[in-house]
Amino acid sequence: MNQLLKQNQKIVSSNGIEYAVKDFLGDGTQGEVYRVTTSGKDLALKWYKQGFATKEQWDVLQNLITIGPPTAQFLWPIELVKINNIPGFGYIMPLRGSNYKGLIDLMKGKIDPSFNVLITAGFQLADNYFHLHSLGLCYSDINFGNAFFDPNIGEVLICDNDNVVVNKSDLGSVNGTLYFMAPEIVRGEARPSRDTDLYSLSVLLFYILHISHPLEGKKQSAIHAWDYPAMLKIFGKEPVFIFDPNDNSNRPDPEVHKCAETYWNIYPKFMKNLFTRAFTDGLKDPENGRVQENEWRSSLIRLRDSTIYCQKCGSENFYDLDAIRENPSFNTKCWNCKSNISIPSRIKINSIIAMLNYNTILYQHHLDGMSYNFEKKVAQMSSNPKNPDIWGLKNLTDVTWVAEKPDNSKIEVKPGQTIPLMSGLIIDFGISKGEIRN
Amino acid sequence: MANRPGGELATRPLHFIWICDCSGSMASEGKIQALNTAIRESLPAMKKVAAENPNAQVFLRAIKFASDAEWITSKAEPVDQYKWFDLVANGETRMGKALSLVADALKIPPMTDRALPPVLVLISDGQPTDDFDNGLKQLMNQQWGKKAVRIAIAIGRDADLDVLQKFIGHSELKPFEAKNAEMLVQQIKWVSTAVVQSVSAPASQAPGQVGPGINVPIPKAPDNIVNSTPGSEVW
Repeated sequence: MNQLLKQNQKIVSSNGIEYAVKDFLGDGTQGEVYRVTTSGKDLALKWYKQGFATKEQWDVLQNLITIGPPTAQFLWPIELVKINNIPGFGYIMPLRGSNYKGLIDLMKGKIDPSFNVLITAGFQLADNYFHLHSLGLCYSDINFGNAFFDPNIGEVLICDNDNVVVNKSDLGSVNGTLYFMAPEIVRGEARPSRDTDLYSLSVLLFYILHISHPLEGKKQSAIHAWDYPAMLKIFGKEPVFIFDPNDNSNRPDPEVHKCAETYWNIYPKFMKNLFTRAFTDGLKDPENGRVQENEWRSSLIRLRDSTIYCQKCGSENFYDLDAIRENPSFNTKCWNCKSNISIPSRIKINSIIAMLNYNTILYQHHLDGMSYNFEKKVAQMSSNPKNPDIWGLKNLTDVTWVAEKPDNSKIEVKPGQTIPLMSGLIIDFGISKGEIRN
Repeated sequence: MANRPGGELATRPLHFIWICDCSGSMASEGKIQALNTAIRESLPAMKKVAAENPNAQVFLRAIKFASDAEWITSKAEPVDQYKWFDLVANGETRMGKALSLVADALKIPPMTDRALPPVLVLISDGQPTDDFDNGLKQLMNQQWGKKAVRIAIAIGRDADLDVLQKFIGHSELKPFEAKNAEMLVQQIKWVSTAVVQSVSAPASQAPGQVGPGINVPIPKAPDNIVNSTPGSEVW
């Protein structure tokens, strides 16, 4: 293999750190990636190919190194390196662990994570891009290839950060593919910005939850040669959401887009409404029409909190309060076995409703509706060791709760204790109160 | 029990066809060996690009032409199963017949009426010894022939650049000129990766950047692929 660097090649950075090249990991358009080692630690090196090792790229990387990663979930440039006698340069970044899988594996049906895992991954993508945007940066190339996740827990890593630029700086090269690009970029009217990142994020989230593109329906499958002019039409000039409530010209083609309708029907109305806004207003109004990251975060958490399990087959389904309110005789039907699902106990804390399943954990944001801190568990479901059919909420905080039963009697629930659940029970957590319903 | 309803992203086929000159002149100066090596070495990178584009299903085939033209493998193989069998060189240069074989393969059927643009790569070191124009006409009479991305690689100094340019059909895209084995390896690799990537998932383009009649924007090849690179014997 003709590789740019050889095994055991020594590299000394300008900070005096010595690296040795170990393995060739992969080859992209812009550069090659190697595993390198220093002081017993393995890292990754991206070495640019001729033509891509430009002064502009050097400056962009230098700026990113100075700013530092928005969160620990970005595989961010650490330092720049040059090698004597070899033209060009590269940069060092953390190595991606082997437990992370690409989103492409999801799209090809090679992995089958739970809905819970995918919702967690979706939340983390929105959360991490939120932090990147908060630094005044824009990613400009959100797509399948640069997000990885742990299919067991949904933990996300974001790679290929060497194209991140300051928002609206006009420095970014337009690298993204038409599938993810905002319509105004596809039409050549705009350059990457936070607004266009929000569009790409909404496409990515739609793909993850539906294994389908939001704009690929009958209009797309009617096209014979799926080439650049065709993509320009479907993604730029005449984009129509496949579930646009006012335009059914682009509904999924059941022969081709087999996943879209199946998954769409599983999610509750509030998620459908959010995706609908993303691909109706969001198509036309880059500045004010797009779904913001904090909306994705709160809705995805709400989706996860809406999880219910089919009593017959155990499949994950979702509680749809809006559908129930519209039609009191509405039955939640399992997508898998089609049986009616009885709604489990749930807790209402202010405007948040969380289903109380065997594995439910409540976090700080359930109590204060604000900060997302998944290190800080507040409560979890626990069954009575003497009678496993009796479930309660265990106090994981260091504050004593006060629980009020329907007969108005009160019980203290000290840290570590569990309060058995009953309909009408009100738990005072200190900063807010929650009511249990069966 | 499955966690979710499963399923995979809808795909379209991308047919990639190598059209290889195996005439007698390719036997000299190591040219046919260089071509075999170049295509064989390009396969891992092409498989990787295909794997990174879940919306495309890449199929590979090849035609060899000398005193006759024939398919090397009878049917299109999915890229991750494709194997290359070394070509040997001997005979004339029936390029026109090769193009008519491609034309037959691009009819509907066997092609479906819904696909990504095919990629056709014509590699030659000389001049056609048959009716090239007729072969090209048959190809361009097919809808998929018209929509195909047509790339040409000229090996050595005796290749007929005019004929290759006619095959390409767009003045903005020139034939690659492989002046030595190293350049051929790089050009074949670039065609197998950058061109496949552009067809599978084109990058967005600035207005006016894509000329009229171009249906797949091909990125500009890096200088070291287009211009002479020092290497082994120059052809």
